Amino acid sequence: MKKIAALGAATIFAALSFTSSAFAYEPEQPECIAPANAGGGWDFTCRQIGKALYDLKTIASPMQVVNLAGGGGGVAYAEVVSKRNDDNDLIVAASSATTTRLAQGAFPGSTMDQVRWVGTIGADYGVIAVAKDSPINTLPELFEKVKENPRGVAFAGGSAVGGWDHLKVLIAAKAAGISDARAVKYIAFEGGGEAVTQLLGGHVQAFTGDISEAKGFVDSGDLKILAVLSEERLPGAEFDKFPTAKEQGIDAVGANWRGFYAPKGMSDDAYNYWVKAIKDTYASDEWKEIMANNGLMPLAKFGPDFEKFVADQISSTQQLSREIGLIK
Amino acid sequence: MDVFSQLADGFAVALTFQNLALALVGCFIGTIIGALPGLGPSNGVAILIPVAFTLGLPATPALILLTSVYYGAMYGGRISSILLNIPGDEPALMTTLDGYPMAKKGQAGEALALSGIASFVGAFFATWGLVFLAPQLVKVALLFGPAEYFALFTLAFATLGGIASQNQGKAVIATMIGLGIAMVGVDHQTGVPRMTFGNIHLYEGIDFLVAIVGLFAISEVLLFLEHKAGSAPSEANQKLARVTAPFWMLKKTAGTMGRSTIIGFLAGVLPGAGASLGSFVSYTIEKKISDKKGTFGTGDPRGVAAPEAGNNAAAGGALVPMLALGVPGSGTTAVLLAMLMALNITPGPLLFTQRPDVVWGLIAALFIGNIMLLCLNIPLVGLFVRVLRVPSKYLMPAVTMISFVGIYGISGSTFDLIMMIIFGVVGYVLRKLNIPTVPIILGILLGNEMETNLRRALEISNGDVNILWGSPLTIGIWILAIAGFVAPFVVGRFLRPKKDPTVAP
Amino acid sequence: MSDRVLGVACLLLSAFYIFMATQIQTSFITDYLGPKFFPILIASLLAIAAIFPIIKPDPDPDWPGIGRFVEIIFAVAVMVAYTYALPVVGFVLSTAITSGILSWRLGAKPIAAAIAGVSISVGIYVVFHLVLQLSLARGPWGF
Repeated sequence: MKKIAALGAATIFAALSFTSSAFAYEPEQPECIAPANAGGGWDFTCRQIGKALYDLKTIASPMQVVNLAGGGGGVAYAEVVSKRNDDNDLIVAASSATTTRLAQGAFPGSTMDQVRWVGTIGADYGVIAVAKDSPINTLPELFEKVKENPRGVAFAGGSAVGGWDHLKVLIAAKAAGISDARAVKYIAFEGGGEAVTQLLGGHVQAFTGDISEAKGFVDSGDLKILAVLSEERLPGAEFDKFPTAKEQGIDAVGANWRGFYAPKGMSDDAYNYWVKAIKDTYASDEWKEIMANNGLMPLAKFGPDFEKFVADQISSTQQLSREIGLIK
Repeated sequence: MDVFSQLADGFAVALTFQNLALALVGCFIGTIIGALPGLGPSNGVAILIPVAFTLGLPATPALILLTSVYYGAMYGGRISSILLNIPGDEPALMTTLDGYPMAKKGQAGEALALSGIASFVGAFFATWGLVFLAPQLVKVALLFGPAEYFALFTLAFATLGGIASQNQGKAVIATMIGLGIAMVGVDHQTGVPRMTFGNIHLYEGIDFLVAIVGLFAISEVLLFLEHKAGSAPSEANQKLARVTAPFWMLKKTAGTMGRSTIIGFLAGVLPGAGASLGSFVSYTIEKKISDKKGTFGTGDPRGVAAPEAGNNAAAGGALVPMLALGVPGSGTTAVLLAMLMALNITPGPLLFTQRPDVVWGLIAALFIGNIMLLCLNIPLVGLFVRVLRVPSKYLMPAVTMISFVGIYGISGSTFDLIMMIIFGVVGYVLRKLNIPTVPIILGILLGNEMETNLRRALEISNGDVNILWGSPLTIGIWILAIAGFVAPFVVGRFLRPKKDPTVAP
Repeated sequence: MSDRVLGVACLLLSAFYIFMATQIQTSFITDYLGPKFFPILIASLLAIAAIFPIIKPDPDPDWPGIGRFVEIIFAVAVMVAYTYALPVVGFVLSTAITSGILSWRLGAKPIAAAIAGVSISVGIYVVFHLVLQLSLARGPWGF
């Protein structure tokens, strides 16, 4: 019964704190949309930043995380643009996958200037992995197999066809001398977790995803990372054992930044609040620890700086997609 | 194995006064949330997560509160299924088929007590399954690739004939309407919108909750209005003598509960199948096995015990892939997974060795929650049945309004409410025409998974259809599916000549 | 007769669905089956199933008379009006009015219906908003 009283008290307290802070902007019911199912990268972004914001007392009430899967993030994007355009309390997890799809026109009728870009919280580097009992040990060996028999190696990833997980393996394939995008067989699953499971079950031959999705399975010995798609080996004892694609002679880099966008119609006060909130959290020690635990590498872009970064990435992705033949 | 000592450690963590109080509150809130149309276990857990944070609970108490809500909602869903013919959530869908007819016969108390016990049996033994079999079952789950999933979903649809006994053609029509609705939205394999008429609200597809609430709750109100039946107390109110299940009923359904627990648990273990498939397959298989006299669908206690044992066992089974692989097997475990991650616990292959306190504390919480729910539910049957004494002219408006809140409170979408009303009107017409609404919901629930896995399988095999029956597992499932599809016809042929002479000598 | 109408309606629906499926634009890379196959398959099966009620219809259900029919239409109209009033007027007032009307149409005396409406509305508000903290529609007065 005490707990019920505590519940009631908490409710009343929440109601009071809302009325008292009605002047300066402060989110009343902070909400983070993760445009994918629970367990994937976007979900991680929302949960972890939500918890950090709450622990650091930046937000007064816990971040409500809403999973809104579908269309590789397009559903959430359209939802924010059409239905939630003036919501001050909302931020949405985004990543390179978001800009990739925007660049390819895969969110019908959507452009990057329909939302406001808030900031990044780090980058997650791409990995290409195989199951522990696979005879393949290096990335060039894997692509040799693909060259011999393009239909014999199925790559599983958590994004839709043409999405970032797909694009990453195409970037690497191109660097390894495979120019026809159709020669790389890619199967789309609902999120990185499901894709790894399919690899462990032997239903596909390789996994393309981010290191944060793969790490748990590497630690348990189920997964063998062939290459990390980063400029140089990742920092930290747990990560620097993985070879980069570059050192194996395949010049491919795929950094998946993680960050947030917010509705376009959000007030300037609210936008500035969120930019500052994300920036402060990024700089906190607590966040550094979370980054270290999860294989997130530093990447700091906020506010207008981030808007420009996104614009640049979209134009370079467009160019790349044209080269590979994904868009005309 | 030191399973028992670890479990004892788990209980040592879980058995504090505060945790027991949390479990009690969680069970109670969960039961209520489960019983309300439109709000199910996943919403219940999602709603309670911020509350757990507000209370500043550490990991284990927070998990105890949330798993109690989870199981409470799984128990609670049956209440409105039985009393009002409106499933409280999607796993309780199948319970309407025999639960409501039982209530109409004046056996609401028996149905509620029996389903409470069946829920307990399912959940309790599934938790033991989780304790002993989790590592082995993970290997089984890994055997399921796209081809196996496609065969499994086909099996589910092939046994559909088991639901609607009167008119198979109409059941097929209903299934196809459900599958057709499932296709609406952005296609996951290619990212192109389908059947959306360019309407952005349809890009995410049509939420099955909107369909359930519309087809069951709103159409029910319209039927009441048609008969102006508001003053008469609900049909199920004639004689409510018992509030417990008689012993013969338990004896008769013991085998049912056992079979359904195993089936439900296995369905729960497979990521992407979940509790709905668990209760659905439990019901259809039980009907195939034991419905010799054709009493299923008319208030057979076994038809109540099967889906309830099945869906609660599936709820336990769904925790296996969530804890061991980090892959949620159902909507609710997806929310629980998110909760774990927010507490800085990453489920995955190493969770059992790295954080045994969390795993065993959680398992102890499951046992506590289940026993508490059984103790809570049996005495409360009398209270629940009293709902039926409320005249419909007050009860039905309340049900309608709760339906609106259930949808609006989660999505905040006016569009969803309009869709719900449309489903209500369509549901009214379909019910007048004697078209079963249950297959529509199953079509919506399972349609996308079925299609997506077929397409994935063919992509993996480069278009070679042989992959669909290329593994021993797929062949096994196909044999079951064919048997399930053919059985009603064959059995019917064998039985009819025997029956006919007695009916019309 | 009703079943024949149903069968024909399903045939038309299936034809429309197949037409819509052919209109789905495919994107740059597509899988073997593509996004059109399944919708067309479903619609075809629907068409086949629709033949049964046309050939072998069940007896007609008891359709409501004109008075009851108007009652149902009125209730649906009230619910639609409620949906649109919700974000404007707020939860408590619109819910009280709507549930009051429904209760009245189901046979309660006007005063009893009004009391029922207010109780239902306030009860739901307390349970869902104050205890469970769901965000319900907030009107001009904050509830």
